[in-house]
Amino acid sequence: MEYNGCMARAATTSDAFNAIAEPQRREILDLLRGGDRPVLDLVGELRIAQPSVSKHLKVLREVRLVQVRAAGRQRIYGLDARGLRPIHEWVGGFEQYWNESFDSLNAYVQALKGGDTR
Amino acid sequence: MTNTRHATARDREIVISRTIDGPRELVFAAFTEVRHLSRWWGPDGFTTTTRAFAFREGGVWDFVLHAPDGADYPSWITWREITPPERIALTHGESAQDPDAFESILTFADHGGTTEITMRTVFPTAALRQRAVEEYHAIEGGRQTLDGLAAYIAEQRRLS
Repeated sequence: MEYNGCMARAATTSDAFNAIAEPQRREILDLLRGGDRPVLDLVGELRIAQPSVSKHLKVLREVRLVQVRAAGRQRIYGLDARGLRPIHEWVGGFEQYWNESFDSLNAYVQALKGGDTR
Repeated sequence: MTNTRHATARDREIVISRTIDGPRELVFAAFTEVRHLSRWWGPDGFTTTTRAFAFREGGVWDFVLHAPDGADYPSWITWREITPPERIALTHGESAQDPDAFESILTFADHGGTTEITMRTVFPTAALRQRAVEEYHAIEGGRQTLDGLAAYIAEQRRLS
């Protein structure tokens, strides 16, 4: 959506928005919400081939939605909060723009009622 | 919430309603001056810089919307109809030349001490509106995931 430029964004796979547009990647994020997991665990839950899971994890890692650590011979994946912020700021597009504006308006009207911005 | 729609325009419009806790004159006033608008306009974390402002029918609000990530988005609004304190019709785009600019009608319903704002936005074509809706649904799943993630992260912060 290119509403008001607010929705304009880079159309590359290195952007968190594209990363979460893919349902399986969202499923991975959902699984990781319950705690860190090794790759094989994710493969078992998602019932998709390991190369696909690895590809998704690579994309998620590049946009900092997940992080990885080694534990013995295993690679353990977990959520990474750093990538989330831009998404929270943008998500919802048109409706978010207005719902958040109206939230602010409501707060501002309370201040006006109190007389502290007159 | 009133989401009454005209059937003929349904495929081109989005309706958003919100009840504001304040009398109608006050809520309406918050739309009429830059010193008010700059205090609330835009999504969370966004700010505005006004280049020109004239709140009258045919007048223009030319401003830049600043995103929290540092990106700037030119914005342009012209008021087509102003009926205090009941109704504002405006056209909203990136500039006066924006072919994708769209029209919104804001109505302010007086409910005693509260005011219900209904914003009915009509996109120039069904295709433009549809594009907006498709993008919206494409990220809807992401939004649900992220709401959960946000809660999770807040929880982690609380525990650490």
